[in-house]
Amino acid sequence: MRIAKITATTVTTAALALGLAACGSGETTTPQPQASASASGPKFAGQSITVWRLGDPNEPSQKYMDDLVAEFKTQTGATANVQWIPWPQVNDKFTAAAAGGEGPDVTEIGNDQVPLWQSQDALAPVTSITTGGEHAQIPKNLFGLETIDGEVYAMPWGAGTRAVMYRKDWFEDLKIEPPKTWDELVAAAKKIQDEKGKDVDGFAFNGGSDANHLLGALAWSEGGEYAVKEGDKWVGKLTDPAFKTGFETYTGLVTSGVSGKSRLTLNTTDIRTRFSNGKVGMYLTASWDIATIKEESKGKVKEDQMAFFPLPSKSGGETPAFFGGNDITVWNDAKNKELATEFVKLATSKKWADRYALDGGLLPVYPDTLAELAKDPAQAPFAAAFAKAKAFPADPQWTEANETKAVLQNAARSVIEGKATADEALAKANKELEDILNQS
Amino acid sequence: MPSWSIPYVLLVPGILVIAGLLLYPMIQMVTMSFQSISLRVIRGVAEPKWVGLENYTKLFDNDIFWSSLRNTIVFAAVTVALTLILGTAVGVLLNRLSRRMSTFVIIGIMSAWAVPPVAQGTIWRWLFDAEAGIINWALNLLPDGLSTLVLGRADWTAQPWLNDAWSVYIVLVLTVVWASFPFVAVSVLAGLRGIPAELYEAARVDGSTPWHTFRKITFPLLKPVFAVLTILSIIWDFKVLSQLYVLLNGPTNREAFNLSLFSFAEAFKAPPKMGSGAAIAVVLTIILLVVTAFYTRQMVKQEDLT
Repeated sequence: MRIAKITATTVTTAALALGLAACGSGETTTPQPQASASASGPKFAGQSITVWRLGDPNEPSQKYMDDLVAEFKTQTGATANVQWIPWPQVNDKFTAAAAGGEGPDVTEIGNDQVPLWQSQDALAPVTSITTGGEHAQIPKNLFGLETIDGEVYAMPWGAGTRAVMYRKDWFEDLKIEPPKTWDELVAAAKKIQDEKGKDVDGFAFNGGSDANHLLGALAWSEGGEYAVKEGDKWVGKLTDPAFKTGFETYTGLVTSGVSGKSRLTLNTTDIRTRFSNGKVGMYLTASWDIATIKEESKGKVKEDQMAFFPLPSKSGGETPAFFGGNDITVWNDAKNKELATEFVKLATSKKWADRYALDGGLLPVYPDTLAELAKDPAQAPFAAAFAKAKAFPADPQWTEANETKAVLQNAARSVIEGKATADEALAKANKELEDILNQS
Repeated sequence: MPSWSIPYVLLVPGILVIAGLLLYPMIQMVTMSFQSISLRVIRGVAEPKWVGLENYTKLFDNDIFWSSLRNTIVFAAVTVALTLILGTAVGVLLNRLSRRMSTFVIIGIMSAWAVPPVAQGTIWRWLFDAEAGIINWALNLLPDGLSTLVLGRADWTAQPWLNDAWSVYIVLVLTVVWASFPFVAVSVLAGLRGIPAELYEAARVDGSTPWHTFRKITFPLLKPVFAVLTILSIIWDFKVLSQLYVLLNGPTNREAFNLSLFSFAEAFKAPPKMGSGAAIAVVLTIILLVVTAFYTRQMVKQEDLT
């Protein structure tokens, strides 16, 4: 038996060695370029901070950051290193940074993410900025998610609502008018698929990390709500008939064949990539995608081939869109909070916040600039949606229900695959949503 | 130094390494499974809270735990069986090839084995892509009658393989078997090369059929090899994570979770719940220890007998 035994030992040893090798993976860290120190100059000369911008950079946003960083350098003498974090990775990156990994000094952050990261001690208060100078012009109702126990944890930078991006040239080819009702939208989507191929999504179903932007808009338009706070407890409202109607409109996108059944987990970023490749007719997004698509499609989809209309609701009229907003704030582990606060202050000053919004396809947070913008017909769909905008439950646990557990995405999947009725799926989701929101 | 102590002294460096790299994290993991650990604890601004068995009771109440457990066990059973059967068959075949030819085939199959797990997932995800995938394209090329007869349908256009838990697992089984049978094949080949040729000659003289020869000579002689390969395969297949993660496009489709992916999603997705993630890992570890202990006992027993 000697030989067999030796073989066995050899096999084991080799396997263990390989197993160990496979386990030995390391996280790559980006080296921090140190700014060269200069002895003279402004207060913060020679220092440097890291700034996280969220999303994929496109030409105008890159240019904006270059100019902002240059201005920052002139004013403070300090260098700001900008890093771009794609939206789907934001929570993972924040988690790693908050757990002690490589983190930013200043970061952009989605307004609905502020309660979560504040509860994890990851954000530093920036209340001092809001009280003085032109920053006081930013309306107080824009600080709803950002104000916790009397302190402001992030500055509104630009407000984003969503509307339907569509292929204008396809609509013109096929003689389709921008839909005013949901039925027209579905008819338009079917027509696009008939002409442009079955692998094209007429209206793309979003079942990924930001699926609730679409589902929320459809449910809200019926008068539905995710959950309401009664006393100090969240009570789920997913089983209400109004929410159910919106949910069925949402799953109907796939069951009616308007969006492909094989693409149930795509988020807005994935859908945008397909749009750039000419595989999507319409989808719900914000106007910053125009610049990215222009670059990403390498000229296949040009600016004049894209346009927006407000998402129509099933019962007629425009849907209330998700009240999205991008904030900027100081990361709690920032080495130099004073300098980081200076950056936030500069970025949210009227000049730079206005340019941030206008270059990035968002709505400005300064009221007079917003009033000016609403007159522009191209921006009108967003301004219209903004007037009716609603927000998700303002709770630190919302991110868990929304993205991590993907409660409603999984409910939608089980309905689409015919494993549960909408009532069963929503009852289950409702219970889970309550459990998540009410955990301490 | 007394001579009896020499083995112990020689073992010390190994034990220290194992204790530092394996034992300590294991103890830590078990401790964590009884605690509630938020990001604030990891940041050092809060103390971990003892919650007793709460992580476990919540886990056993969770439907996703039971579907993950089922997925893990069924997947491991099917994959281990297929890997060993296919690997042995290829190993026996390799032994009959000429030296040059078998080297050629070994290099070929070992390159599949050498593909990193994430790349394996990516490759098979593309093959099974609903629209651009070669699998749907190839299934559509089959004559309609044959396709309907064997597979029950003729039209495979845009068949979404990676939606439903069971079809995701078909793809996962293929991925993992594809990448792990070469190791079994080569190990079996090494074992076969060690069996004296006289035994086979004697069998041939006695007029034994190939199947009979395999059952009466090859299999008993290679039993220790098979025992080791079985344990290793079980351990590997219970722990599959990267391939599933890639095939599922991240931890969204919870019905298709296995225990590793479930543990990962609990422990590391925002907001991280290291406690319940650790509890799942403990359950997985216990299952693996039991299975491995059982097989190791079997193996030791056999060696005592021979």
